[in-house]
Amino acid sequence: MNWLDKLSRRQMIKLMGATGAGAFLLTQMGQYADAQDIPIPDSGATLPTDDVTLRWVDSGDQKAVFFKAYFDAYQAAHPNIKVAYDPLPWNEIAQVVPLGIRNGTAHDVFQLPLSVSGAQAVSEGWVQPLDDVIPNIEEWKAKFPAGVFLPGITDFDGKTYSLPFTSAKRYGTHLLYNKEMLAEAGYDPESEPLTWSTFRDAAKTITEQGNGAYYGFIMGGNQINRWADIVRNLARMAGAVGGGGAQVTADIDFRTGEYQFNSEEYIGAVELLLQLRDDGSVFPGVLSINAPQARAFMPQGAAGMIMQGPWNIPQWERENPEFDFGIASGPVPDDGDVWPLTISEGGANGLWIFEGSPNAAVAGDIFHYLGTVEGQTQWANLVGAADAPILPEAIANADLSPRAAQALNMFNEQIRVGPNPVVRNPDIVQVTLELRAPEPTFPQVVQGLYAGELEDVAAQMNDLQDRYTAELERAIEAANAKGASVTRDDWVFPNWDPRADYGASDYEDL
Amino acid sequence: MAVPNLSTSTTQYTKPPKSLWREIWKYRWCYLFMLPSLILTGMFTFYPIFASWYFAFLDWSGFTATRDFIGIGNFQEVIGDNLFWGAFRRSLIFTAISVPIQMLLSLIVAIVLNDKALKLAPVFRTFFFIPVVTTTAIVGIVMSFIFSPFNGPINGILVDLGIVSRPIDFLGSAATSLWTVIGVFIWKWFGITMIYWLASLQTVPSDLYEAARLDGAGRWELFRYIIFPLLVPFSIVILLITVVSSLNVFALVQTMTAGGPFYSSEVMEVYIYRTAFGTSGSVPRLGYASAAGVFFGIAVMIITVLQGLAVRGMRERQAS
Repeated sequence: MNWLDKLSRRQMIKLMGATGAGAFLLTQMGQYADAQDIPIPDSGATLPTDDVTLRWVDSGDQKAVFFKAYFDAYQAAHPNIKVAYDPLPWNEIAQVVPLGIRNGTAHDVFQLPLSVSGAQAVSEGWVQPLDDVIPNIEEWKAKFPAGVFLPGITDFDGKTYSLPFTSAKRYGTHLLYNKEMLAEAGYDPESEPLTWSTFRDAAKTITEQGNGAYYGFIMGGNQINRWADIVRNLARMAGAVGGGGAQVTADIDFRTGEYQFNSEEYIGAVELLLQLRDDGSVFPGVLSINAPQARAFMPQGAAGMIMQGPWNIPQWERENPEFDFGIASGPVPDDGDVWPLTISEGGANGLWIFEGSPNAAVAGDIFHYLGTVEGQTQWANLVGAADAPILPEAIANADLSPRAAQALNMFNEQIRVGPNPVVRNPDIVQVTLELRAPEPTFPQVVQGLYAGELEDVAAQMNDLQDRYTAELERAIEAANAKGASVTRDDWVFPNWDPRADYGASDYEDL
Repeated sequence: MAVPNLSTSTTQYTKPPKSLWREIWKYRWCYLFMLPSLILTGMFTFYPIFASWYFAFLDWSGFTATRDFIGIGNFQEVIGDNLFWGAFRRSLIFTAISVPIQMLLSLIVAIVLNDKALKLAPVFRTFFFIPVVTTTAIVGIVMSFIFSPFNGPINGILVDLGIVSRPIDFLGSAATSLWTVIGVFIWKWFGITMIYWLASLQTVPSDLYEAARLDGAGRWELFRYIIFPLLVPFSIVILLITVVSSLNVFALVQTMTAGGPFYSSEVMEVYIYRTAFGTSGSVPRLGYASAAGVFFGIAVMIITVLQGLAVRGMRERQAS
């Protein structure tokens, strides 16, 4: 210790600082050392030659699995380009992105908050078109299936603004279940999907078998949107068909153009949840857990069934490989007449480039890769069924786990592309801007009914029907007063067959 | 001002004229060190307050370029919103329940810990104070696990002791969610109120205690005739601080229940957050939320002023 004693305090501080800096540099080097898994092709874009940092924010989760590996490889291939990747949950994106845009420091690439439409972003001048930054954009777009690039959704004024690089053909309320518990209860949902009655019975039986150690059904009840998603999809499969997920499209029957909260299917679905609660088959404390927590409880054996999405599959397979779980359709109606679920547009996970971004060329290069078969295949390999790739060849090429492949096939069978009122009349975007959610909203009413704070399902659903309809009409009036030209008929699609895909020619036939 | 009269032997030094600038210049180093704090407070406390008064008159989502001036439209909507009054009521309940319990319990503990004979008093003081310095959001998350009806320790004890047959969903049941949050709030901020009481107790001269004991006073008489009268001025201040802190409960409520289930634990700050940022799927409305905040602030100010007038009136009647 002699030489240490001889050091003065200043020398000690300098030494510690140098050691710290050296250690930090070592960690930085290690980061690039093993990032060669993903080959980075040349898209033909002109990339900057000086040092740039690309800032990217999205909702993370399964996307982060791919992007972290991809950005490591990208930075290794382009030493002058650094990528700062921020995977944030949706409620933080709702704060960070608008604030960044307001003071001009937004990320170069971002996803829009869930409550902001693409049309709003374009009309406010937040985003720039991709036409100038993606090389050979027409050729590149041609590879995408129909219904992905839609005017009013991704394309505005003849230019493309957004890249929806994953498929929207998936739903977040299919059944994921503990095979052992269901087998003990005498059910095999994979071979025969559960109906509303057998679902209730299975939950009850599992709870009885569990005797307090586990329950039949679990969900993330603190996460408001889950209540709406589950009721909506149960009802849609039972016949209350409708499309889309926004307030201006979901829960509307496009054959009549009316909201359908008071349809017997919606009321029946809510009552099914209440029956599960009254049977005691629901995990106690659902109202205080969110969806990721519910997802984490399943491999711990807390419940037999959960209704969530395909994103559970890779996470459980990776983190709980010994968890024997199965995938099946969400509960279908007792009469056996199963209706398809409908989506309003083909693509999901839209990415946008900030209007004021100085690194648009880099973003364009990355977007280009995400839209090629190689990029989509790499995506599928790392992310799998959680966020299905949008190019069909990628699904065929990728090596997916059997459960992931099963889920994707199930989606192809059960989901159809339906009409989108925004495509038919772009002025409806003005209505979206005027719409306010009538509190208590649909998901809050369902939660309130479940929590026992509200009584009389039929009365509440009728009240929802009246309030939402009134709000839609008020928003239409307000939009028309500002120069839009929208009528309730824009939501009526008489030539829609819910069991078939709605294509571009169907819009023309209207 | 008279000039020093050097002819007389009495030195009468009179100071130069007092002007504001001279005063500031005299204490310039104090002001210089205060400047960073003032700037930050101006930017992060005063500017948002004044800005929210302005935003309250706008129909604005918070991030779009279009801001329409709608006068008192937001305030009219706020007054007509049942959910606003529900949140208002819950905030008042929160304060009315948590403040007396917190002040009373911490006073009792402070009196006990004030005893110099208690050798471990500093250790206990530290233990009671540790919750105060923990991060509120983390506490909220951990508490939601502790109160969980599935494998949660609290429910485990209740069920094992046979007090209840089925676990209670503390945070997921509308009847218990607010009270559970109040309980955790009291536990968390108990320590700081106790420290305030300790500080005020230490202004009571110890010879007063001795004198009272010599006169034969027991613990209760000691409290009622010596401690309590001397503590009254402090308790007014501590009451004010505790009331204000009971209105700043956002982090705790948001992490434990997010205002749920079905608004049963939604206090004013959670209401403002929900309407401002549209977290439950609704459209963000910063203008409306600012109006709600301004309205609530004014209402609380009115209540405080009324309370102050009532206390003053009571004291005047006592004195006369």
